Amino acid sequence: MARMNPIGRNLLGWVSVVVFLAAWEILARSHVFTEFLLPSFSASFERLVEDTLSGELLRNLGLTLLRAFAGFAMGAVAGVVIGVCMARMPLVRWFFDPIVSIGLPMPKIAFIPVFILWFGVFDESKILMVAFNALFPVVVATMAGAEAVDRVMIWSARSLGASPRRLLFEIAIPAALPEIFTGLQIAMPIALIVAIVSEMAMGGEGLGGALMTQMRFADSRGVFSGILAIGIAGSLVVKAMELIRRRLLVWHQETQSG
Amino acid sequence: MGMGGSGIIFDEVCHTYRPRRGRPVLALDKISLDVRDREFLALLGPSGCGKSTLLYLLGGFMPIESGSITTHGKPVTGPGPDRGIVFQSFALFPWKTVRQNVLYGLEKQGMPRAEREQRTKELLELVHLSAFADSYPSQLSGGMKQRVAIARTLAVDPGILLMDEPFGALDAQTRALMHEELLAIMQRSPKTVVFVTHDVREAVYLADRVAVMSARPGRIKEIVSTEKPAGAGSEFLQTPEFAEKVEHLWGLVRDEAIRAQDAAH
Ligand SMILES: Nc1ncnc2c1ncn2[C@@H]1O[C@H](COP(=O)(O)OP(=O)(O)OP(=O)(O)O)[C@@H](O)[C@H]1O
Ligand SMILES: [Mg+2]
Repeated sequence: MARMNPIGRNLLGWVSVVVFLAAWEILARSHVFTEFLLPSFSASFERLVEDTLSGELLRNLGLTLLRAFAGFAMGAVAGVVIGVCMARMPLVRWFFDPIVSIGLPMPKIAFIPVFILWFGVFDESKILMVAFNALFPVVVATMAGAEAVDRVMIWSARSLGASPRRLLFEIAIPAALPEIFTGLQIAMPIALIVAIVSEMAMGGEGLGGALMTQMRFADSRGVFSGILAIGIAGSLVVKAMELIRRRLLVWHQETQSG
Repeated sequence: MGMGGSGIIFDEVCHTYRPRRGRPVLALDKISLDVRDREFLALLGPSGCGKSTLLYLLGGFMPIESGSITTHGKPVTGPGPDRGIVFQSFALFPWKTVRQNVLYGLEKQGMPRAEREQRTKELLELVHLSAFADSYPSQLSGGMKQRVAIARTLAVDPGILLMDEPFGALDAQTRALMHEELLAIMQRSPKTVVFVTHDVREAVYLADRVAVMSARPGRIKEIVSTEKPAGAGSEFLQTPEFAEKVEHLWGLVRDEAIRAQDAAH
């Protein structure tokens, strides 16, 4: 494997997915389960293509991604600001530390009923739910990154004439960027998950809502094709984050091994 | 020079590190030292004796808890571009290219764009890194990083230059070249230099005076004048005077190094 060319190795990495899909197909066609319980991969994929062509899937997908990205952006901005402030201001740190250490591991999805109560079941409620969940990993990663900035680097900037007020944007945040981005990469899949779960719970359009509707109408092909769509969209978004990381952090050691 | 005295004056400066965990460490104990204006002073001493600490205090990076440091009669209260420093660990900005690292201080000075591009180009030529202007620090060797750090500090043309083992990561040839470059820069725009090194020959060759520090807690043990005859170049390295100074300083440093080792056991 070590001596295989890069393309060959990339394809080989997908073997497990192919095996899994083949197993699904064989199992479905063996009629151990009914078509209703387990529609075949090919049938689900066909449905995926149909829904894509009709535009229905794209509208739902677009709505879900829009909510996920909007909430992600809010959580990311707030997370970076809070994280940096916690790293640099002892008072802010003292205040937020307990909330963050409780909030980070907590299954915050439990707040869905509260958000429905406070903000309703429409876009703002779903987006805020996403933001709330995406916030914590960004806070923690930013704080760790900004704290680890070498003091000698800060001194360097000061002795070259940087004012203390500029240090944050000119030194601390760029220096912490690899860690901050790691936080964003953790937050992104969370944003997608929470967007879909919120849609499932709150209803309306979007992939999550569509899945629940299809289930109620006993449309299992629709459900499985929706799951395929979520899987594909999710892995594309995660891949895109990786590419952005490589572009943004060209200067970082890790990105130079290739 | 002002009435308050010229150069740098350390007056009974102490420094204690107080780590969150563990015992306080007395790093400097009543350091008194005068560095004359435009003098090149080398600091020699065993590892851990407080050489970097002394530079950090002079740089204004850490509060001076007892005693005082003045430069040109003004007390040191914080960092400033009048005192440039080359750190032992380089402290380059890894997200900036070599060129952007050197430009940073010039931007802070508000130098016009064309002028600072020109100056950066000259400095990169000086340290033989023009070909790497667009590389990132993580793509450079230790010696190259060190030269970027030197160029970045020289760019803002500080009156006082603090250097913490600036040539430590260089091979012998590059080091000799850098010695000549440094001496040439001093001729063109004279500066007061405090230069930390482990290399006795380097200290004797470059400096006007060499201060030897004792093992921790750091004190000034002895100051040796190493003034060279006017206009002496690298041929000075071959003279008996040079060998004699090196021998004398070696003896002092060796004693302290042994004491530092004994203290560690
Ligand atoms: N942040 C710190 N916290 C606690 N102790 C420290 C800290 N920095 C330095 N020290 C201690 O202070 C003493 C002086 O350190 P310093 O770095 O100034 O030594 P140095 O002479 O520069 O050594 P070297 O030649 O190895 O660079 C050392 O014994 C070290 O253990
Ligand atoms: Mg040191």
